[in-house]
Amino acid sequence: MATLSIDKITKAFGSVTVIPELSLTIPDGEFCVLVGPSGCGKSTLLRIIAGLEPVNSGRILVDGVDMSEAEPPERGVAMVFQSYALYPHMDVGRNIGFGLEIARTPSAEIAERVRRAADKLRLSSYLRRKPRELSGGQRQRVAIGRAITRKPKLFLLDEPLSNLDAALRVGMRVEIARLKAELASTMIYVTHDQVEAMTLADRIVVMDGGRIEQVGTPLELYHRPANLFVAGFIGSPAMNFLNGRVASVQDKQATVRLALGPMLDIPISRPLEPGDDVVLGVRPEHILLSAEEHADAHVVEAGVVELLGSDTFIHVRNGEENLVIRDSSGRVARAGDRLAISLPPAACHLFDKTGHRISENAPTRWEPIPAKARIN
Amino acid sequence: MRAEAVRAGPATAIERRPASRTSTLYLFALPATLLFVVFVAYPILWVAGQSLYIRSGSGVSSFAGLANYVTVLGDPTFWIVVRNMLLWGVITIPVQMLIGGLLAYFIERHTHALRGFFRTMFFLPVVTSVSVISLVWVQIYAPYYGIAQEYLKHVGFVMMTSPIGDPKMAIYALILVNIWQWTGFSMLMYIAGIANLPSEVLDAARVDGARGWRLAVYVIVPMLAPATKSLLLLGVIGTLQTFPIVHLMTGGGPNRASEVFGTFIFKQSFVLGDTGSGAALSVIVLVVALVLSLLQIVTLGARLTPAGKERA
Amino acid sequence: MTPLARSRLRSTVIHLVLFIVLGFWMIPQVYMLSIGLRTPAQAFDAALFTWPVTFDNFVTVIRDNPLGGIFLNSLIVTVATVAIVVAVASLFAFACAILRLKGSLFLYTTLLTTLMVPLASMVLPLAILLKNFGWVNTYIGLILPYAALGVPFAMVILKSFLEDAPRELFEAARVDGCNAWQTYWHVALPLVRPALVFVTIWQFIVTWNEFFLALIVLTKAEMKTLTIVPMQYSGLYMANPGALFAVLTLIALPLILLYVLVQRAFVRGLLAGAVKG
Repeated sequence: MATLSIDKITKAFGSVTVIPELSLTIPDGEFCVLVGPSGCGKSTLLRIIAGLEPVNSGRILVDGVDMSEAEPPERGVAMVFQSYALYPHMDVGRNIGFGLEIARTPSAEIAERVRRAADKLRLSSYLRRKPRELSGGQRQRVAIGRAITRKPKLFLLDEPLSNLDAALRVGMRVEIARLKAELASTMIYVTHDQVEAMTLADRIVVMDGGRIEQVGTPLELYHRPANLFVAGFIGSPAMNFLNGRVASVQDKQATVRLALGPMLDIPISRPLEPGDDVVLGVRPEHILLSAEEHADAHVVEAGVVELLGSDTFIHVRNGEENLVIRDSSGRVARAGDRLAISLPPAACHLFDKTGHRISENAPTRWEPIPAKARIN
Repeated sequence: MRAEAVRAGPATAIERRPASRTSTLYLFALPATLLFVVFVAYPILWVAGQSLYIRSGSGVSSFAGLANYVTVLGDPTFWIVVRNMLLWGVITIPVQMLIGGLLAYFIERHTHALRGFFRTMFFLPVVTSVSVISLVWVQIYAPYYGIAQEYLKHVGFVMMTSPIGDPKMAIYALILVNIWQWTGFSMLMYIAGIANLPSEVLDAARVDGARGWRLAVYVIVPMLAPATKSLLLLGVIGTLQTFPIVHLMTGGGPNRASEVFGTFIFKQSFVLGDTGSGAALSVIVLVVALVLSLLQIVTLGARLTPAGKERA
Repeated sequence: MTPLARSRLRSTVIHLVLFIVLGFWMIPQVYMLSIGLRTPAQAFDAALFTWPVTFDNFVTVIRDNPLGGIFLNSLIVTVATVAIVVAVASLFAFACAILRLKGSLFLYTTLLTTLMVPLASMVLPLAILLKNFGWVNTYIGLILPYAALGVPFAMVILKSFLEDAPRELFEAARVDGCNAWQTYWHVALPLVRPALVFVTIWQFIVTWNEFFLALIVLTKAEMKTLTIVPMQYSGLYMANPGALFAVLTLIALPLILLYVLVQRAFVRGLLAGAVKG
């Protein structure tokens, strides 16, 4: 349990700059997910927080104390590694207790804490086994057990689920969510999987090229992406981007003509000039499909249709632009069908040439489901 | 599921083929088998057979049962050899592991630009012809003009004679040369082991707070166990085939004090022409080697690969 | 002191210690070269270095001795042995690891025992065998026994490499219509190239420096290899250490130079060979 402050750090490997300059504060008890494409510097950032990589400049503060040059145990970190990194020559019990052993904790206390961690993670009957005698999921739990016995201030997880198969991954994700509730320690979790990020995080930090693109709650990122990168990274299938040009601007509202055809009125928060090129983003699930043509609708021809059972993904090709529509109505479309689509302006995001968000809208408000509705 | 079933099938695609074509596939295994039968298996069987015969002066062989073994085991030189071989193995193997391991550790974990240079330089004795090495060391050890006595007397270590001319010292002087020559090999094995340690496990150890000697003792040394086991196995076999250093530096002398199995067999068989006891000795060395090797393989799970690593 | 300065100091100390140890380690080689470069007057000086140096000894021994022929003998025996070992061992490893022929595992285990046989116990029977074949003082009389003794080690390395290769590759080759020979040649061999390089270099070193069997099989002067001639020079140049050590330097030099040239590939193969599991 600790507040982590990262203060203007930079990191380069030789002449390759991995992190240009980065600051971030993670408050006490938060579950923070670092997410981004591979090579974006998220793992390096985690290793810097852990104390495994020195920074070139800047400071790492834990509860306000400068820890930039401290070894990992002094920082009070524990870490779960992607490959689990269990000691192959030690049994499960010793693997879990090794950090305490090094810290010269009395052996009775080690035994007690190992036992408790093992109970919590359903490992009690495996304590005498070597890592190679365990399944992938069990090794994963040992790695987590090793981290929680340390009672860390900062609990770091580096793509912990990426070596598990799909079914196991869902199970472990739920297990980590439960752990988060129980431990109440500050957790920092690196992943490239946005489902893990969305489901686990209190706050998500989206990174690209060593820079932070946006920090926010999962729903903030989903509904108000700060730029094209975040808009394209969060959400699956990815947000559609359509080129357009500003036709007119009046009173915090821009009228945009899309290359695709329709004109849309979008509320904006930053100045725009008529004639500016813009990119309009709309998520596949927000495009409305209607059976008949009507005034606001635009008619397109369905290309490839993917039937997922619950959803249908309809790919539309229009000149240079591709559009994906996600339809959950249960209707079945076929390639070649003529579809009338409309883009609700409230669900459209507008980005300027540099990729920054300019639309003001917060399309769908998140509201708690009323208790009555939940019971029904 | 279907894919699984196919994969689990007996050795997949390549194996299942008509019998006529299978037989030609045995051509892959034939050359190795032939070499083995003619130049390994047959000689071993032959020597085992010969060890039961005595050749008289006129060249006629007669069956003698275990008489050759009795003669050999009754020879006091045999027991000198046994003692020397024990000393050789017990000193050489651990010392080489220790020095080689330390060199490997510091070279691999603490040098960067000069890593290749150190790796190569310490390995050079291994690739230097053993006969050259032996003669150089004879010169080093030489009385009056050798550098060993000249420089060691400055540190208070006075040698009156050449250590290889002294029955008490000879075997140790030879062991020193052997250690010097082969430590580079141990070093390289450990370098391979260290280079292949999973870096995440080392990171995990650092997060756990293990540093310095505790990192070495609790994490690195145990994780290098496969390399250590291979070195032990190779060391035992290497000890038993010791020959050139002894043959060239002392010839087993003075007064047989530094005799080893190699030189003893060489003398009995080729100098004295006593193939019966030479054969008996060969069989004894062979059996000792096989027993010790199998013992290690069974009890330690040792492997004969250069840097064998346990499957996780 | 900042951690950076501390780690720099530690690195300097470690380098210094390594250089000192290496200095002691290199004494025999330095001494050998040093005596080879001495004038007769200084040859018996009990010192590691003397001054001035002369190349006369090298000139003398190169002029007086058929070193070229001896070198060629070593080269013929070694290259032939290495070629046979690599070919035979890779074929066998392929049979075991990929074809999985019936009985190949039994054969493999049997051949493995060769690794536990000390050469000391083999020289007597091999000497008799070669005499019966009439192969004393022939290249083949060394090449084939060396190959037989070298194959098992190469086979172990190559087999474990092949086993670590993705099996799908060999299945893909089969689907593409390769027969076993084509799979071996076009898929297996390129795949294990680091191991082949390692095995080649190691077998080269071992064969080049083998002493015991060469001593027994090669008795004729014109057949002798580099490892067994130093003995006769030690008699010949007993009174002239300068010449003796010049010749020893020349004998040791080819393999040392070769190793320095290929050490990178050798170590790479060794490191790759350990990657398992």
